[in-house]
Amino acid sequence: MSVKGDGAMEKNQDWVGKRYLLVDDFSIIRTLLRDMLRNLGVRSADQAGNGADAVAMLAKNKYDVVLCDYNLGAGRTGQQVLEEARLRDLIGPACIWLMISAEKSVESVMGAAEHQPDGYLIKPITEGLLLTRLNRVWSKKKVFREIEMAYEAKDYLKAARLCDAKLDTDKVYALDLMRMKASLLLKCGEPEQARAVYETILAERDYGWAKTGLAKMRLQNGEVETAKRLLQEVISDNANFLDAYDQLALAHQQLGEFGEAEQVLASAAKLSPNSVLRQKNLGTLALKLGNINVAEKAFAKSVEVGEHSILRTPDAYLGLARVYGQKSEVKQALQVLGAVQKAFDNEEVRLRAKITEGLVYHESGDFKKARISGEEMGKLLAGSSVKPDIATSLDMARLLFAVGVKDAPVDLLRDLVKNNHDNEELAAEVRQIFDNARMGEQGADLVNASRKEASGMMNHGVMLWKGGKLPEAVAWMRDASTALPMNVRILFNFAHILISVMQQQGGDSTATAKEDLDLEGMAAETREVLLRADRIAPNHQRFAQLMELLAELSPAPGVEAPA
Amino acid sequence: MDIESNQDRPDLSLLVASSAHDMKNSVSMLSGTLENLLAEASDKMAPAYQQMVHMLYETRRLNNNLIQLLALYKDVGSPSYPFDPETLPIAEFVDEVAARNHIVFDSRGIVFDADFPDNLIWCFDEDLIVGVIGHALNNAIRYTRDKIRLSIAPVEEFLELRVEDNGDGYPQAMLGRAAAVRAGVDFTTGSTGLGLYFSSEVAKMHKHRGRHGSVWLENGGPLGGGCFVLRLP
Repeated sequence: MSVKGDGAMEKNQDWVGKRYLLVDDFSIIRTLLRDMLRNLGVRSADQAGNGADAVAMLAKNKYDVVLCDYNLGAGRTGQQVLEEARLRDLIGPACIWLMISAEKSVESVMGAAEHQPDGYLIKPITEGLLLTRLNRVWSKKKVFREIEMAYEAKDYLKAARLCDAKLDTDKVYALDLMRMKASLLLKCGEPEQARAVYETILAERDYGWAKTGLAKMRLQNGEVETAKRLLQEVISDNANFLDAYDQLALAHQQLGEFGEAEQVLASAAKLSPNSVLRQKNLGTLALKLGNINVAEKAFAKSVEVGEHSILRTPDAYLGLARVYGQKSEVKQALQVLGAVQKAFDNEEVRLRAKITEGLVYHESGDFKKARISGEEMGKLLAGSSVKPDIATSLDMARLLFAVGVKDAPVDLLRDLVKNNHDNEELAAEVRQIFDNARMGEQGADLVNASRKEASGMMNHGVMLWKGGKLPEAVAWMRDASTALPMNVRILFNFAHILISVMQQQGGDSTATAKEDLDLEGMAAETREVLLRADRIAPNHQRFAQLMELLAELSPAPGVEAPA
Repeated sequence: MDIESNQDRPDLSLLVASSAHDMKNSVSMLSGTLENLLAEASDKMAPAYQQMVHMLYETRRLNNNLIQLLALYKDVGSPSYPFDPETLPIAEFVDEVAARNHIVFDSRGIVFDADFPDNLIWCFDEDLIVGVIGHALNNAIRYTRDKIRLSIAPVEEFLELRVEDNGDGYPQAMLGRAAAVRAGVDFTTGSTGLGLYFSSEVAKMHKHRGRHGSVWLENGGPLGGGCFVLRLP
């Protein structure tokens, strides 16, 4: 192929009719960009001078192209605006996002941030360059369009198959397609297949992301030493590959090498000091190791950089409160706990702030106040509809026992076991907590009875279904999924039964008229049940399989058919 | 490890780096503005236009030099350049190079032409290689009569990028692989030295299965003038 002169200018994708948003804190730059777009014939280009304005405009209008400077002065950074736009669904997968910066940053390296823009433009920017980059992103978006739509609909198996189809026709994007396919297979709960994809890629060249992906599989598979070696290789090849640091820290932790894990996280945090989550992770580990100063700095930094970020996390505040507690600065700890409840106004955070308050009093030796916190938490729990995750629930129970509250933690743990009746590890941990509270016998009974009750509930529903009593099976499982809303196995079985009922209805046209089932309502219910299970236990094989069966029966709402 | 050491201490190298960044930003602005002015200019024959073309050429050279210095700076200490090789279609790379340089080519009446196989993809740090090829093109612009050619093809498991012109060619002493390495040591040669040194460092950063990239200069080729060669594993 031969290109004469300005090759890019000859391609003529229609950039004129698109709607643009220009984000930069300098009005001169915005004008410069606007003039360039005008020269290209563009009519509609809105401007925002800071991150907050940009977010407000993204929420109000639908843009086809966003040109956003990375450095926006005070407030949000360009990366934070992008993260917020993606996580709040202000932009769809079709929107083109180009990040503009004065120089290359560590954040722009592959594997640094989860939410990557479609491209980075390094200044100086000219009309020709802008057009070239827009064309480049466009050809890639075209190839990935259907895959992205299946992904949005959470039909991961279909998305993975589409990757295969595109691999035959769009060889130039082979590597991107394989990378996408591997991550989809992971989401489908098919780690072995994902691993095979990574190995095929690595036979070609040592790509850091593929090696990190492979290391992740090994880590999940318990091959921790191998994972560690792979990750160390990635980092020695490219010291900026932040994703590998995160995984390496996990590997060290699994090997009990907490000091090394802390060092790795500290190096990563130094490379990308503005990552809310990395600072939080460093703080958590340092706190565990008793390195109070490191923990304090990291948590404080996470809170600080999180101020304008949608990724900000209550964990950083709660960790900071623990740090103050251990330094016997109770007043400051309580201040932070007040701040976290202001920053995150929800029931779960109120509960967790209350546990932390109890811990702070307990650790500073004020057992009377710790006991009061525990009792208040028991009341909060009783009137609460939120189901905290396993780790939080266990923490709560430990603390409640420690401060001398008895009934609330017993109820909490019973509920927890019922919702996770097939989790052996959890059962053992719960028994341990009871043992430590000198209630070993009661604990063992409670664990056994709860597991039996939950599995009995599930089995009865499955029996009804196998016996062909479909309406009864649906009704039974609906009740079971309400009683145990966090029980993933019950949720998946319920969804499975709903789908099989819909399949029968679809195949048997005489029955539909007679029974007059609300198929649409059933599909919506199934979707809701599956999404709930996915939130509790992501990357589950059954989720991918059931989502695909559901998609075949009824397309997901709000997803347009590919053009 | 004590992460509190080495922090919060102002040091000269950091100051140098941040000033260089600052200068680069200003020069970037200048060169962007100039380029847009040139694109809008109606009378391409006016003396002012030709002077602006020259200004643009010089600003870009300055900008490239600053970028090169900053990228090399990682050898001295932090902040380091985030090296980031990615696989990319060569057609897109050529579009990028063409888009960055077409104003200078057009305004100087140079015919630019690129040649590469369809569907070829390769893995490299695009920004750095755009910098290296940009430097080679800048040199070619200075020495060519009226033609510059960028040809890219896989050669012996390497990607070979050649920037050729139809000028008088390079002096004998600069030819060959050894000369490219020597040029880096001899800073008295000025900007050419920095550019070649930068290019050779960037080439060396690109590694794959025990092999790394290299650069050298040749004379001859299809256009008969000088030729800058970059090979990437």
